[in-house]
Amino acid sequence: MGIKTGTPYFQLAQQFPDAKIAVFSSNYELYGELTGRVVSIIRQKAPAYFRYSIDECFVYWEGFDGVNLKEWGENLHKRIRKSVGMPVSIGLAPTKTLAKMASHFAKKYPGYRHCCLIDNEEKRKKALKLYPIDEVWGIGRRYAAKLQSLGVQTAYDFAEKSDSWVRATFNNIVIYRTWQELNGVDAVPNEEMAKKKSICTSRSFNGMVTGSDTLKTHVSNYAARCAEKLRQQGTVGTIVAVFLHTNAFREDLPQYWNFQEKRLTVGTNSTIDIVKAASEVLRSIYIKGYHYKKAGVIVMGIGPNSPMQLDLFDYNAEQFQKMKRLDAVIDRINKVNGTETIVLGSQQYTQKDGKGKADVFANAIKHDFRSKNPTTRWSDIIQLK
Amino acid sequence: MQSIKLIKGEFNEHIEMPLAPGIKAGFPSPAEDYLHESLDFNRDLIKHPESTFYGRVDGDSMEDVGICDGDIAVIDRSVEPQNGDVVVGYVNGDFTIKFLDLTHKGEGYIELRPANKNYQPIRIDIDDNFEVWGVVVWTIKNWKK
Repeated sequence: MGIKTGTPYFQLAQQFPDAKIAVFSSNYELYGELTGRVVSIIRQKAPAYFRYSIDECFVYWEGFDGVNLKEWGENLHKRIRKSVGMPVSIGLAPTKTLAKMASHFAKKYPGYRHCCLIDNEEKRKKALKLYPIDEVWGIGRRYAAKLQSLGVQTAYDFAEKSDSWVRATFNNIVIYRTWQELNGVDAVPNEEMAKKKSICTSRSFNGMVTGSDTLKTHVSNYAARCAEKLRQQGTVGTIVAVFLHTNAFREDLPQYWNFQEKRLTVGTNSTIDIVKAASEVLRSIYIKGYHYKKAGVIVMGIGPNSPMQLDLFDYNAEQFQKMKRLDAVIDRINKVNGTETIVLGSQQYTQKDGKGKADVFANAIKHDFRSKNPTTRWSDIIQLK
Repeated sequence: MQSIKLIKGEFNEHIEMPLAPGIKAGFPSPAEDYLHESLDFNRDLIKHPESTFYGRVDGDSMEDVGICDGDIAVIDRSVEPQNGDVVVGYVNGDFTIKFLDLTHKGEGYIELRPANKNYQPIRIDIDDNFEVWGVVVWTIKNWKK
């Protein structure tokens, strides 16, 4: 239909007065569960894989003698489509950047039957020529604008530049690696993708929030969710950042946004530590009087859980062990008895739910148009007539 | 530098976990030779977790075979539907649970047959681009409300 990503909901009715549009809020619970199933199928069919994001996964084939990759990809798509009911696009190429590009072609042109393979020079060049520079993986908006101002319109224009030109113009390792990858040199290391990884939990509010209490409760919940994710991964974080902003589409209201971080002396994945740090950061950036639309918590500086770098002055072994045990118990209870069975006091909302109990996160963020969760909640399973 | 965890794929569906009796210093447990894994519905009834979905029966169209209002159906999308299977179809925006009747496939149509004489079979022409949504592998009934 041509609805662009990020179009505000209230503009749709003006833009498409006669159209019938079904609106759904993002439902990460359902999306996460279904993509988890997809990854589980990929795991059975691929020698090695790395899940890059909620809906992207890299598969590694080292030397594919005797494997018809195109057929492998088409079959994988078919299998996922039948089992989960979700269409996927598969791109196969010598480098990650080219593979991302190939997956884009697989999605755009039905002729590829959901799987696009770039396995020779002719195909590589053809793909590069069709690909706008600002859509290349790893080229941010700023660099894309700079490249365009230098006459680089397609990925091909960029790939054809000389090594020295790329180095002299940008002096940036990420851009240089992208250039290498476009030329078929596998340059983005797996470690890089893991190092870049940060954990973020954020939500747009249903309506707008002005009070610091509600905002603090939201942020505590995002922080708690981040801590939980760290523990699931067996990692710790050393930087806790919080951002918040007003609704940029409401030009009639005053605008404000901010992002601050706090460095911790010891890496942690304890809910109490991370909630405390996030609350502190929020206090420093919250200004009364604005209508806030969105806030989020980002945990960075992520490393393995142990051996931990300890701060001699700040380290209390007994306390540390207690916190660890507490988190383990909370995780287990929440796993067995349902999420949010036990939460910190700062995660509880002052408003009450239908039973007169303090409201929890899942209800407080309930979206107007959330689709059902037929794979994660018994109350939402499909009805069979 | 932090290294990434590459997860090796499993080429087969299940990994057999050998039972570890553990190392004991004292008198060996006489039950050890008889150890067996507990029965587990999730493991034994659900062969393909990634393609298994659940649905709740709404109505009495399959009552005669004991599939009743409120029962839970376990649906596997990866199973190839056969003639006579209980299947879930997606018809006119609704999920429906019926017997799959392929008798008239040669004549250009198939039928979704109810198990209740008050209901009519749903006839679907082959050209309708109809797909069986999934095959019902189990139904679960609650007797003690």
